[in-house]
Amino acid sequence: MELTDADLLARVLVDGDQHAFGELVRRHQSPVRGLLRQLVRADVELADDLAQETFIRAYKHIRSFRGESKFSTWLYRIAYNIFREHARKRKELVGIDEEQLQAKADPQTVDPGLRHDLMNALAGLPLHERTAVTLCCQNGLSHDEAARVLDIPLGTVKTNVLRGREKLKKILADWAT
Amino acid sequence: MNDPLDDLLDARLRDEAPYIDDAGFTTRVMKQLPRRRLSWNKQRAVVIFVATIVSVVVAYFASGEGLFVHDAFARISGLQPLQLFLVIVACGITMTIAGLWAALTRRHETMI
Repeated sequence: MELTDADLLARVLVDGDQHAFGELVRRHQSPVRGLLRQLVRADVELADDLAQETFIRAYKHIRSFRGESKFSTWLYRIAYNIFREHARKRKELVGIDEEQLQAKADPQTVDPGLRHDLMNALAGLPLHERTAVTLCCQNGLSHDEAARVLDIPLGTVKTNVLRGREKLKKILADWAT
Repeated sequence: MNDPLDDLLDARLRDEAPYIDDAGFTTRVMKQLPRRRLSWNKQRAVVIFVATIVSVVVAYFASGEGLFVHDAFARISGLQPLQLFLVIVACGITMTIAGLWAALTRRHETMI
Protein backbone atom coordinates (compact mmCIF):
# COMPACT_ATOMS: atom_id res chain seq x y z
CA MET A 1 0.00 0.00 0.00
CA GLU A 2 1.37 3.40 -0.96
CA LEU A 3 1.94 5.77 1.92
CA THR A 4 0.03 9.05 1.91
CA ASP A 5 1.72 12.42 2.10
CA ALA A 6 0.60 12.63 5.74
CA ASP A 7 2.25 9.29 6.55
CA LEU A 8 5.50 10.40 4.95
CA LEU A 9 5.37 13.75 6.74
CA ALA A 10 4.87 11.94 10.04
CA ARG A 11 8.00 9.89 9.37
CA VAL A 12 9.99 13.02 8.58
CA LEU A 13 8.73 14.82 11.68
CA VAL A 14 8.91 12.02 14.23
CA ASP A 15 11.84 9.92 13.02
CA GLY A 16 13.74 12.52 10.96
CA ASP A 17 13.43 10.07 8.04
CA GLN A 18 15.14 11.71 5.04
CA HIS A 19 14.09 8.86 2.74
CA ALA A 20 10.46 9.73 3.45
CA PHE A 21 11.22 13.33 2.50
CA GLY A 22 12.88 12.06 -0.68
CA GLU A 23 9.66 10.28 -1.59
CA LEU A 24 7.75 13.53 -1.06
CA VAL A 25 10.19 15.33 -3.36
CA ARG A 26 9.80 12.62 -6.01
CA ARG A 27 6.00 12.93 -5.85
CA HIS A 28 5.80 16.69 -6.03
CA GLN A 29 8.81 17.67 -8.13
CA SER A 30 6.95 17.72 -11.43
CA PRO A 31 4.17 20.21 -10.59
CA VAL A 32 6.53 22.43 -8.57
CA ARG A 33 9.10 22.55 -11.39
CA GLY A 34 6.29 23.07 -13.90
CA LEU A 35 4.94 26.05 -11.96
CA LEU A 36 8.39 27.61 -11.66
CA ARG A 37 9.05 27.09 -15.37
CA GLN A 38 5.90 29.05 -16.10
CA LEU A 39 6.89 31.77 -13.64
CA VAL A 40 10.41 32.18 -15.03
CA ARG A 41 9.18 31.63 -18.56
CA ALA A 42 10.79 28.39 -19.58
CA ASP A 43 14.29 29.10 -18.23
CA VAL A 44 14.61 25.46 -17.24
CA GLU A 45 17.89 25.71 -15.32
CA LEU A 46 16.76 28.67 -13.28
CA ALA A 47 13.40 27.02 -12.61
CA ASP A 48 15.13 23.86 -11.37
CA ASP A 49 17.47 25.86 -9.14
CA LEU A 50 14.47 27.59 -7.59
CA ALA A 51 12.67 24.24 -7.27
CA GLN A 52 15.65 22.78 -5.41
CA GLU A 53 15.64 25.76 -3.09
CA THR A 54 11.91 25.24 -2.58
CA PHE A 55 12.33 21.67 -1.36
CA ILE A 56 15.33 22.49 0.82
CA ARG A 57 13.41 25.32 2.46
CA ALA A 58 10.41 23.03 2.90
CA TYR A 59 12.64 20.48 4.67
CA LYS A 60 14.16 23.10 6.96
CA HIS A 61 10.75 24.49 7.93
CA ILE A 62 8.74 21.29 7.82
CA ARG A 63 7.66 21.73 11.43
CA SER A 64 5.80 24.89 10.45
CA PHE A 65 3.51 22.87 8.17
CA ARG A 66 0.29 22.57 10.20
CA GLY A 67 -1.69 20.44 7.78
CA GLU A 68 -4.29 23.20 7.31
CA SER A 69 -3.83 22.95 3.55
CA LYS A 70 -2.61 20.21 1.24
CA PHE A 71 1.15 19.62 1.30
CA SER A 72 1.30 20.50 -2.41
CA THR A 73 -0.40 23.85 -1.75
CA TRP A 74 2.17 24.58 0.95
CA LEU A 75 4.97 23.73 -1.49
CA TYR A 76 3.50 26.00 -4.18
CA ARG A 77 3.43 28.81 -1.67
CA ILE A 78 7.09 28.32 -0.80
CA ALA A 79 7.96 28.09 -4.51
CA TYR A 80 6.09 31.31 -5.26
CA ASN A 81 7.79 33.12 -2.36
CA ILE A 82 11.20 31.96 -3.57
CA PHE A 83 10.38 33.13 -7.08
CA ARG A 84 9.35 36.55 -5.75
CA GLU A 85 12.55 36.84 -3.71
CA HIS A 86 14.55 35.93 -6.78
CA ALA A 87 12.65 38.42 -8.94
CA ARG A 88 13.15 41.14 -6.35
CA LYS A 89 16.89 40.48 -6.28
CA ARG A 90 17.08 40.61 -10.05
CA LYS A 91 14.55 43.26 -10.88
CA GLU A 92 16.15 43.99 -14.21
CA LEU A 93 15.62 40.39 -15.33
CA VAL A 94 11.86 40.61 -14.87
CA GLY A 95 11.66 43.93 -16.69
CA ILE A 96 13.67 42.77 -19.70
CA ASP A 97 11.90 39.46 -19.95
CA GLU A 98 8.54 41.16 -19.85
CA GLU A 99 9.33 43.19 -22.93
CA GLN A 100 11.11 40.41 -24.78
CA LEU A 101 8.33 37.96 -24.22
CA GLN A 102 5.62 40.41 -25.09
CA ALA A 103 7.35 40.72 -28.45
CA LYS A 104 7.58 36.96 -28.73
CA ALA A 105 3.90 36.68 -27.96
CA ASP A 106 2.98 38.77 -30.97
CA PRO A 107 0.87 36.38 -33.10
CA GLN A 108 2.47 37.66 -36.28
CA THR A 109 5.99 36.70 -35.21
CA VAL A 110 5.41 33.21 -33.90
CA ASP A 111 4.90 29.75 -35.21
CA PRO A 112 1.36 29.46 -36.57
CA GLY A 113 0.66 26.31 -34.52
CA LEU A 114 -1.99 26.58 -31.84
CA ARG A 115 0.22 25.08 -29.15
CA HIS A 116 2.95 27.59 -29.77
CA ASP A 117 0.47 30.46 -29.89
CA LEU A 118 -1.18 29.39 -26.67
CA MET A 119 2.06 28.89 -24.77
CA ASN A 120 3.39 32.19 -26.02
CA ALA A 121 0.15 33.86 -25.02
CA LEU A 122 0.40 32.29 -21.55
CA ALA A 123 4.03 33.36 -21.24
CA GLY A 124 3.04 36.84 -22.41
CA LEU A 125 0.38 37.33 -19.74
CA PRO A 126 1.26 39.68 -16.89
CA LEU A 127 2.81 37.80 -13.98
CA HIS A 128 -0.26 37.92 -11.72
CA GLU A 129 -2.56 36.57 -14.45
CA ARG A 130 -0.03 33.97 -15.61
CA THR A 131 0.50 32.68 -12.08
CA ALA A 132 -3.23 32.49 -11.33
CA VAL A 133 -4.00 30.70 -14.61
CA THR A 134 -1.11 28.27 -14.13
CA LEU A 135 -2.12 27.39 -10.59
CA CYS A 136 -5.85 27.08 -11.24
CA CYS A 137 -6.03 25.81 -14.83
CA GLN A 138 -2.85 23.76 -15.12
CA ASN A 139 -2.10 22.61 -11.58
CA GLY A 140 -5.75 22.15 -10.63
CA LEU A 141 -5.85 24.32 -7.51
CA SER A 142 -9.14 25.83 -6.41
CA HIS A 143 -9.41 29.62 -6.36
CA ASP A 144 -9.30 29.48 -2.59
CA GLU A 145 -6.09 27.43 -2.58
CA ALA A 146 -4.51 29.73 -5.15
CA ALA A 147 -5.42 32.74 -2.99
CA ARG A 148 -3.54 31.12 -0.10
CA VAL A 149 -0.53 30.34 -2.25
CA LEU A 150 -0.34 33.86 -3.64
CA ASP A 151 -1.42 35.50 -0.38
CA ILE A 152 -3.95 37.71 -2.14
CA PRO A 153 -7.73 38.04 -1.76
CA LEU A 154 -9.94 35.39 -3.33
CA GLY A 155 -11.69 37.97 -5.51
CA THR A 156 -8.36 39.07 -6.97
CA VAL A 157 -7.49 35.50 -7.89
CA LYS A 158 -10.86 35.07 -9.63
CA THR A 159 -10.37 38.31 -11.54
CA ASN A 160 -6.84 37.37 -12.60
CA VAL A 161 -7.92 33.91 -13.75
CA LEU A 162 -10.86 35.37 -15.65
CA ARG A 163 -8.78 38.05 -17.38
CA GLY A 164 -6.01 35.62 -18.23
CA ARG A 165 -8.46 33.10 -19.62
CA GLU A 166 -10.21 35.75 -21.72
CA LYS A 167 -6.89 36.65 -23.35
CA LEU A 168 -6.05 33.00 -23.99
CA LYS A 169 -9.53 32.35 -25.35
CA LYS A 170 -9.04 35.20 -27.79
CA ILE A 171 -5.95 33.43 -29.13
CA LEU A 172 -7.95 30.21 -29.43
CA ALA A 173 -10.79 32.00 -31.18
CA ASP A 174 -8.41 33.71 -33.62
CA TRP A 175 -6.77 30.40 -34.37
CA ALA A 176 -10.11 28.67 -34.92
CA THR A 177 -11.31 31.25 -37.46
CA MET B 1 -23.96 25.58 -20.73
CA ASN B 2 -20.18 25.84 -20.95
CA ASP B 3 -18.56 27.91 -23.63
CA PRO B 4 -16.85 25.37 -25.96
CA LEU B 5 -13.81 27.65 -25.98
CA ASP B 6 -13.60 27.29 -22.20
CA ASP B 7 -13.54 23.52 -22.50
CA LEU B 8 -10.98 23.65 -25.28
CA LEU B 9 -8.79 26.03 -23.28
CA ASP B 10 -8.97 23.82 -20.18
CA ALA B 11 -8.04 20.77 -22.21
CA ARG B 12 -5.16 22.56 -23.92
CA LEU B 13 -3.77 23.96 -20.68
CA ARG B 14 -3.90 20.55 -19.01
CA ASP B 15 -2.17 18.99 -22.02
CA GLU B 16 0.54 21.61 -21.83
CA ALA B 17 1.40 20.65 -18.26
CA PRO B 18 3.05 17.29 -18.90
CA TYR B 19 4.79 15.24 -16.24
CA ILE B 20 8.38 16.43 -15.85
CA ASP B 21 10.71 13.47 -15.54
CA ASP B 22 12.70 13.44 -12.31
CA ALA B 23 16.03 12.90 -14.14
CA GLY B 24 18.13 13.07 -10.97
CA PHE B 25 16.34 16.08 -9.51
CA THR B 26 15.37 14.28 -6.28
CA THR B 27 18.93 13.00 -5.81
CA ARG B 28 20.32 16.52 -6.21
CA VAL B 29 17.87 17.85 -3.62
CA MET B 30 18.68 15.05 -1.17
CA LYS B 31 22.41 15.77 -1.45
CA GLN B 32 21.81 19.39 -0.48
CA LEU B 33 19.62 18.74 2.53
CA PRO B 34 21.12 19.87 5.84
CA ARG B 35 22.77 17.12 7.87
CA ARG B 36 20.30 14.93 9.62
CA ARG B 37 19.82 15.83 13.25
CA LEU B 38 18.54 13.56 16.00
CA SER B 39 14.76 13.39 15.92
CA TRP B 40 12.81 14.94 18.78
CA ASN B 41 12.10 11.50 20.24
CA LYS B 42 15.78 10.55 20.23
CA GLN B 43 16.80 13.94 21.63
CA ARG B 44 14.27 13.46 24.42
CA ALA B 45 15.57 9.97 25.16
CA VAL B 46 19.16 11.26 25.38
CA VAL B 47 18.13 14.13 27.67
CA ILE B 48 16.19 11.79 29.97
CA PHE B 49 19.05 9.27 30.10
CA VAL B 50 21.69 11.90 30.90
CA ALA B 51 19.44 13.58 33.48
CA THR B 52 18.80 10.23 35.15
CA ILE B 53 22.51 9.39 35.42
CA VAL B 54 23.34 12.84 36.80
CA SER B 55 20.48 12.65 39.30
CA VAL B 56 21.58 9.22 40.53
CA VAL B 57 25.17 10.36 41.00
CA VAL B 58 24.10 13.56 42.80
CA ALA B 59 21.64 11.65 45.00
CA TYR B 60 24.25 9.03 45.81
CA PHE B 61 26.81 11.50 47.08
CA ALA B 62 24.29 13.86 48.64
CA SER B 63 22.82 11.06 50.73
CA GLY B 64 25.99 9.81 52.34
CA GLU B 65 26.87 7.34 49.61
CA GLY B 66 23.45 5.76 49.33
CA LEU B 67 22.73 5.12 52.98
CA PHE B 68 19.13 6.06 52.35
CA VAL B 69 18.75 2.96 50.13
CA HIS B 70 19.97 0.77 52.96
CA ASP B 71 17.58 2.49 55.34
CA ALA B 72 14.68 2.15 52.89
CA PHE B 73 15.24 -1.57 52.50
CA ALA B 74 15.45 -1.93 56.26
CA ARG B 75 12.11 -0.10 56.62
CA ILE B 76 10.47 -2.20 53.88
CA SER B 77 11.64 -5.42 55.44
CA GLY B 78 9.92 -4.35 58.65
CA LEU B 79 6.53 -3.89 56.95
CA GLN B 80 3.57 -6.18 57.49
CA PRO B 81 2.77 -8.45 54.49
CA LEU B 82 -0.45 -6.46 53.75
CA GLN B 83 1.41 -3.15 53.84
CA LEU B 84 4.06 -4.57 51.54
CA PHE B 85 1.33 -5.79 49.15
CA LEU B 86 -0.27 -2.32 49.08
CA VAL B 87 3.08 -0.67 48.32
CA ILE B 88 3.65 -3.08 45.40
CA VAL B 89 0.11 -2.47 44.04
CA ALA B 90 0.59 1.31 44.29
CA CYS B 91 3.90 1.06 42.42
CA GLY B 92 2.26 -1.07 39.71
CA ILE B 93 -0.61 1.37 39.24
CA THR B 94 1.79 4.31 39.07
CA MET B 95 3.93 2.58 36.41
CA THR B 96 0.83 1.64 34.37
CA ILE B 97 -0.44 5.22 34.39
CA ALA B 98 3.00 6.52 33.39
CA GLY B 99 3.20 3.98 30.53
CA LEU B 100 -0.27 4.84 29.25
CA TRP B 101 0.48 8.55 29.40
CA ALA B 102 3.71 8.07 27.43
CA ALA B 103 1.94 5.95 24.79
CA LEU B 104 -0.92 8.44 24.34
CA THR B 105 1.47 11.39 24.15
CA ARG B 106 3.49 9.65 21.42
CA ARG B 107 0.34 8.94 19.39
CA HIS B 108 -0.67 12.59 19.61
CA GLU B 109 2.72 13.75 18.33
CA THR B 110 2.55 11.68 15.15
CA MET B 111 -0.68 13.37 14.06
CA ILE B 112 -0.13 16.25 11.63
